[in-house]
Amino acid sequence: MSPVYPLCLVLFAVGVYCLAVKRNLIKIVIGIGIMEYAVNLFFVLIGYRLRGRSPIESPDQVVTDMVDPLPQALVLTAIVIGLATTALLVAAAIRLYEKYGTFDITKIRKLRG
Amino acid sequence: MKPIERKDEGGMTLIVKTVTRLTVGLILLFGLYILVHGHHGPGGGFSGGVILALSFIHLMLAFGRKTAAEKFSDRTAGTLLGLGALLFVAIALFGYAGRGFFLNFLPKGDRFAVLSGGIIPLCEAAIYLAVGGGLYTVFSALVSSAQDAEEEP
Repeated sequence: MSPVYPLCLVLFAVGVYCLAVKRNLIKIVIGIGIMEYAVNLFFVLIGYRLRGRSPIESPDQVVTDMVDPLPQALVLTAIVIGLATTALLVAAAIRLYEKYGTFDITKIRKLRG
Repeated sequence: MKPIERKDEGGMTLIVKTVTRLTVGLILLFGLYILVHGHHGPGGGFSGGVILALSFIHLMLAFGRKTAAEKFSDRTAGTLLGLGALLFVAIALFGYAGRGFFLNFLPKGDRFAVLSGGIIPLCEAAIYLAVGGGLYTVFSALVSSAQDAEEEP
Protein backbone atom coordinates (compact mmCIF):
# COMPACT_ATOMS: atom_id res chain seq x y z
CA MET A 1 0.00 0.00 0.00
CA SER A 2 1.28 3.39 -0.93
CA PRO A 3 2.04 5.77 1.96
CA VAL A 4 0.00 8.52 0.29
CA TYR A 5 -3.32 6.77 0.88
CA PRO A 6 -3.47 7.66 4.61
CA LEU A 7 -2.92 11.29 3.65
CA CYS A 8 -6.25 11.16 1.82
CA LEU A 9 -7.78 9.95 5.08
CA VAL A 10 -6.17 12.93 6.86
CA LEU A 11 -7.68 15.30 4.30
CA PHE A 12 -11.06 13.60 4.77
CA ALA A 13 -10.69 14.01 8.54
CA VAL A 14 -10.06 17.75 8.03
CA GLY A 15 -13.39 17.90 6.19
CA VAL A 16 -15.17 15.98 8.96
CA TYR A 17 -13.65 18.31 11.58
CA CYS A 18 -14.87 21.32 9.61
CA LEU A 19 -18.34 19.81 9.34
CA ALA A 20 -18.57 18.92 13.03
CA VAL A 21 -16.98 21.96 14.69
CA LYS A 22 -17.60 25.01 12.52
CA ARG A 23 -20.81 26.93 13.02
CA ASN A 24 -20.87 29.03 9.87
CA LEU A 25 -23.03 27.45 7.17
CA ILE A 26 -20.65 28.48 4.39
CA LYS A 27 -17.73 26.85 6.23
CA ILE A 28 -19.79 23.67 6.58
CA VAL A 29 -20.35 23.68 2.81
CA ILE A 30 -16.57 24.11 2.34
CA GLY A 31 -16.00 21.16 4.72
CA ILE A 32 -18.27 18.96 2.64
CA GLY A 33 -16.31 20.05 -0.42
CA ILE A 34 -13.01 19.08 1.24
CA MET A 35 -14.39 15.62 2.08
CA GLU A 36 -15.56 15.23 -1.50
CA TYR A 37 -12.15 16.11 -2.90
CA ALA A 38 -10.39 13.77 -0.46
CA VAL A 39 -12.42 10.87 -1.86
CA ASN A 40 -11.78 12.01 -5.44
CA LEU A 41 -8.04 12.24 -4.76
CA PHE A 42 -8.09 8.73 -3.28
CA PHE A 43 -9.77 7.31 -6.39
CA VAL A 44 -7.32 9.00 -8.73
CA LEU A 45 -4.38 7.76 -6.64
CA ILE A 46 -5.67 4.17 -6.83
CA GLY A 47 -5.40 4.33 -10.62
CA TYR A 48 -1.94 5.94 -10.54
CA ARG A 49 1.25 4.09 -11.32
CA LEU A 50 4.73 5.36 -10.64
CA ARG A 51 5.94 7.72 -13.39
CA GLY A 52 2.79 6.93 -15.40
CA ARG A 53 1.72 9.04 -18.36
CA SER A 54 -1.67 10.65 -18.80
CA PRO A 55 -4.11 8.29 -20.53
CA ILE A 56 -4.30 10.25 -23.78
CA GLU A 57 -3.47 8.69 -27.12
CA SER A 58 -1.55 10.79 -29.60
CA PRO A 59 -1.06 10.22 -33.32
CA ASP A 60 2.74 9.95 -33.39
CA GLN A 61 3.67 8.01 -30.28
CA VAL A 62 2.92 4.72 -28.55
CA VAL A 63 2.34 5.14 -24.82
CA THR A 64 2.87 1.96 -22.83
CA ASP A 65 2.93 3.27 -19.23
CA MET A 66 -0.46 4.98 -18.98
CA VAL A 67 -2.17 5.47 -15.64
CA ASP A 68 -5.57 3.79 -15.25
CA PRO A 69 -8.18 6.03 -16.93
CA LEU A 70 -11.20 4.33 -15.32
CA PRO A 71 -11.00 6.03 -11.86
CA GLN A 72 -10.40 9.34 -13.65
CA ALA A 73 -13.64 8.95 -15.61
CA LEU A 74 -15.45 8.03 -12.39
CA VAL A 75 -14.00 11.06 -10.59
CA LEU A 76 -15.02 13.34 -13.46
CA THR A 77 -18.62 12.21 -12.94
CA ALA A 78 -18.24 12.62 -9.17
CA ILE A 79 -17.01 16.19 -9.66
CA VAL A 80 -20.09 17.01 -11.74
CA ILE A 81 -22.39 15.59 -9.08
CA GLY A 82 -20.38 17.43 -6.41
CA LEU A 83 -20.95 20.67 -8.31
CA ALA A 84 -24.71 20.08 -8.26
CA THR A 85 -24.82 19.21 -4.55
CA THR A 86 -22.67 22.25 -3.68
CA ALA A 87 -25.01 24.50 -5.65
CA LEU A 88 -27.97 23.00 -3.77
CA LEU A 89 -26.27 23.49 -0.39
CA VAL A 90 -25.36 27.09 -1.19
CA ALA A 91 -28.93 27.77 -2.32
CA ALA A 92 -30.22 26.37 0.99
CA ALA A 93 -27.70 28.52 2.89
CA ILE A 94 -28.83 31.64 1.01
CA ARG A 95 -32.49 30.88 1.80
CA LEU A 96 -31.63 30.44 5.49
CA TYR A 97 -29.73 33.75 5.43
CA GLU A 98 -32.77 35.44 3.89
CA LYS A 99 -35.01 34.07 6.63
CA TYR A 100 -32.81 34.49 9.72
CA GLY A 101 -30.21 37.11 8.68
CA THR A 102 -27.28 34.97 9.85
CA PHE A 103 -25.11 32.05 8.77
CA ASP A 104 -24.52 30.91 12.37
CA ILE A 105 -26.30 27.60 12.90
CA THR A 106 -26.56 28.08 16.66
CA LYS A 107 -28.63 31.23 16.08
CA ILE A 108 -31.06 29.51 13.71
CA ARG A 109 -33.10 28.36 16.67
CA LYS A 110 -36.47 28.01 15.03
CA LEU A 111 -35.29 24.78 13.42
CA ARG A 112 -35.31 23.13 16.85
CA GLY A 113 -38.41 21.15 17.71
CA MET B 1 -24.11 42.35 -30.43
CA LYS B 2 -23.57 45.86 -29.21
CA PRO B 3 -20.26 46.56 -27.47
CA ILE B 4 -20.09 46.64 -23.70
CA GLU B 5 -20.64 50.20 -22.47
CA ARG B 6 -17.65 51.93 -20.95
CA LYS B 7 -19.64 53.79 -18.30
CA ASP B 8 -21.53 50.91 -16.75
CA GLU B 9 -22.56 51.50 -13.19
CA GLY B 10 -21.81 48.91 -10.55
CA GLY B 11 -19.38 46.05 -10.80
CA MET B 12 -15.68 46.14 -10.13
CA THR B 13 -12.92 48.68 -10.85
CA LEU B 14 -11.89 50.01 -14.27
CA ILE B 15 -8.87 47.67 -14.43
CA VAL B 16 -10.99 44.56 -13.95
CA LYS B 17 -13.55 45.82 -16.45
CA THR B 18 -10.94 46.56 -19.12
CA VAL B 19 -9.24 43.18 -18.73
CA THR B 20 -12.63 41.46 -18.80
CA ARG B 21 -13.64 43.26 -21.99
CA LEU B 22 -10.42 42.08 -23.65
CA THR B 23 -10.46 38.48 -22.43
CA VAL B 24 -14.12 37.47 -22.46
CA GLY B 25 -14.14 36.68 -26.19
CA LEU B 26 -10.90 34.73 -25.93
CA ILE B 27 -12.29 32.61 -23.09
CA LEU B 28 -15.40 31.87 -25.19
CA LEU B 29 -13.17 30.89 -28.12
CA PHE B 30 -11.08 28.63 -25.87
CA GLY B 31 -14.27 26.87 -24.77
CA LEU B 32 -15.12 26.24 -28.43
CA TYR B 33 -11.59 24.89 -29.03
CA ILE B 34 -11.98 22.48 -26.11
CA LEU B 35 -15.34 21.37 -27.51
CA VAL B 36 -14.10 20.81 -31.08
CA HIS B 37 -11.11 18.73 -29.94
CA GLY B 38 -13.10 16.75 -27.38
CA HIS B 39 -13.45 13.46 -29.25
CA HIS B 40 -9.78 12.86 -30.10
CA GLY B 41 -7.94 14.61 -27.29
CA PRO B 42 -8.37 16.08 -23.85
CA GLY B 43 -11.50 18.16 -23.46
CA GLY B 44 -15.06 17.60 -24.54
CA GLY B 45 -18.57 18.90 -24.12
CA PHE B 46 -18.53 19.21 -20.36
CA SER B 47 -15.24 21.10 -20.08
CA GLY B 48 -16.14 23.32 -23.04
CA GLY B 49 -19.57 24.03 -21.58
CA VAL B 50 -18.09 24.97 -18.23
CA ILE B 51 -15.74 27.43 -19.98
CA LEU B 52 -18.69 28.86 -21.96
CA ALA B 53 -20.56 29.45 -18.70
CA LEU B 54 -17.43 30.83 -17.03
CA SER B 55 -16.92 33.47 -19.72
CA PHE B 56 -20.36 34.92 -19.00
CA ILE B 57 -19.94 34.47 -15.23
CA HIS B 58 -16.71 36.47 -15.65
CA LEU B 59 -18.74 39.21 -17.34
CA MET B 60 -21.30 39.11 -14.51
CA LEU B 61 -18.66 39.38 -11.80
CA ALA B 62 -16.91 42.32 -13.44
CA PHE B 63 -19.85 44.37 -14.74
CA GLY B 64 -22.72 43.31 -12.52
CA ARG B 65 -25.80 41.24 -13.20
CA LYS B 66 -27.55 43.68 -15.55
CA THR B 67 -24.83 43.84 -18.21
CA ALA B 68 -24.36 40.10 -18.20
CA ALA B 69 -28.13 39.58 -18.49
CA GLU B 70 -28.16 41.85 -21.58
CA LYS B 71 -25.55 39.62 -23.28
CA PHE B 72 -26.83 36.27 -22.07
CA SER B 73 -30.17 36.30 -20.32
CA ASP B 74 -31.45 33.59 -18.01
CA ARG B 75 -34.07 32.82 -20.61
CA THR B 76 -31.46 32.20 -23.32
CA ALA B 77 -29.46 30.03 -20.92
CA GLY B 78 -32.53 28.01 -20.04
CA THR B 79 -33.37 27.58 -23.73
CA LEU B 80 -29.81 26.37 -24.43
CA LEU B 81 -30.06 23.95 -21.51
CA GLY B 82 -33.30 22.43 -22.80
CA LEU B 83 -32.10 22.43 -26.40
CA GLY B 84 -28.90 20.60 -25.46
CA ALA B 85 -30.72 17.94 -23.47
CA LEU B 86 -33.30 17.41 -26.25
CA LEU B 87 -30.56 17.25 -28.92
CA PHE B 88 -28.73 14.57 -26.93
CA VAL B 89 -31.87 12.45 -26.64
CA ALA B 90 -32.69 13.07 -30.32
CA ILE B 91 -29.22 11.86 -31.39
CA ALA B 92 -29.64 8.77 -29.23
CA LEU B 93 -33.11 8.01 -30.59
CA PHE B 94 -31.96 8.64 -34.17
CA GLY B 95 -30.01 5.41 -33.86
CA TYR B 96 -33.32 3.58 -34.09
CA ALA B 97 -33.39 4.51 -37.79
CA GLY B 98 -30.62 1.94 -38.08
CA ARG B 99 -30.10 -0.90 -35.63
CA GLY B 100 -30.54 0.55 -32.15
CA PHE B 101 -30.13 3.08 -29.37
CA PHE B 102 -27.06 5.35 -29.67
CA LEU B 103 -26.11 3.74 -32.97
CA ASN B 104 -23.14 5.55 -34.51
CA PHE B 105 -24.72 5.99 -37.95
CA LEU B 106 -22.31 8.60 -39.32
CA PRO B 107 -19.01 7.69 -41.03
CA LYS B 108 -16.24 7.24 -38.47
CA GLY B 109 -13.46 9.06 -40.35
CA ASP B 110 -9.72 8.86 -39.72
CA ARG B 111 -8.23 8.49 -36.28
CA PHE B 112 -7.16 11.78 -34.64
CA ALA B 113 -8.87 13.85 -37.34
CA VAL B 114 -11.12 16.72 -36.22
CA LEU B 115 -13.98 15.39 -38.36
CA SER B 116 -14.13 11.85 -37.01
CA GLY B 117 -15.93 9.75 -34.49
CA GLY B 118 -19.37 9.76 -36.13
CA ILE B 119 -22.01 11.04 -33.70
CA ILE B 120 -19.59 11.64 -30.81
CA PRO B 121 -18.87 15.32 -31.74
CA LEU B 122 -22.62 15.93 -32.11
CA CYS B 123 -23.20 14.48 -28.63
CA GLU B 124 -20.39 16.67 -27.32
CA ALA B 125 -22.03 19.74 -28.86
CA ALA B 126 -25.34 18.87 -27.18
CA ILE B 127 -23.58 18.40 -23.83
CA TYR B 128 -21.77 21.73 -24.41
CA LEU B 129 -25.06 23.60 -24.76
CA ALA B 130 -26.69 21.83 -21.80
CA VAL B 131 -23.77 22.28 -19.40
CA GLY B 132 -23.06 25.88 -20.46
CA GLY B 133 -26.69 26.92 -20.10
CA GLY B 134 -27.20 24.93 -16.90
CA LEU B 135 -24.15 26.19 -15.04
CA TYR B 136 -24.87 29.80 -16.01
CA THR B 137 -28.50 29.41 -14.88
CA VAL B 138 -27.40 27.99 -11.50
CA PHE B 139 -24.92 30.83 -10.93
CA SER B 140 -27.35 33.51 -12.07
CA ALA B 141 -30.12 32.13 -9.84
CA LEU B 142 -27.80 32.08 -6.82
CA VAL B 143 -26.64 35.67 -7.50
CA SER B 144 -30.18 36.99 -7.95
CA SER B 145 -31.48 35.31 -4.77
CA ALA B 146 -28.48 36.66 -2.82
CA GLN B 147 -29.14 40.16 -4.18
CA ASP B 148 -32.81 39.94 -3.20
CA ALA B 149 -31.71 39.01 0.32
CA GLU B 150 -29.48 42.09 0.47
CA GLU B 151 -32.18 44.47 -0.75
CA GLU B 152 -34.81 43.55 1.85
CA PRO B 153 -33.13 42.92 5.21
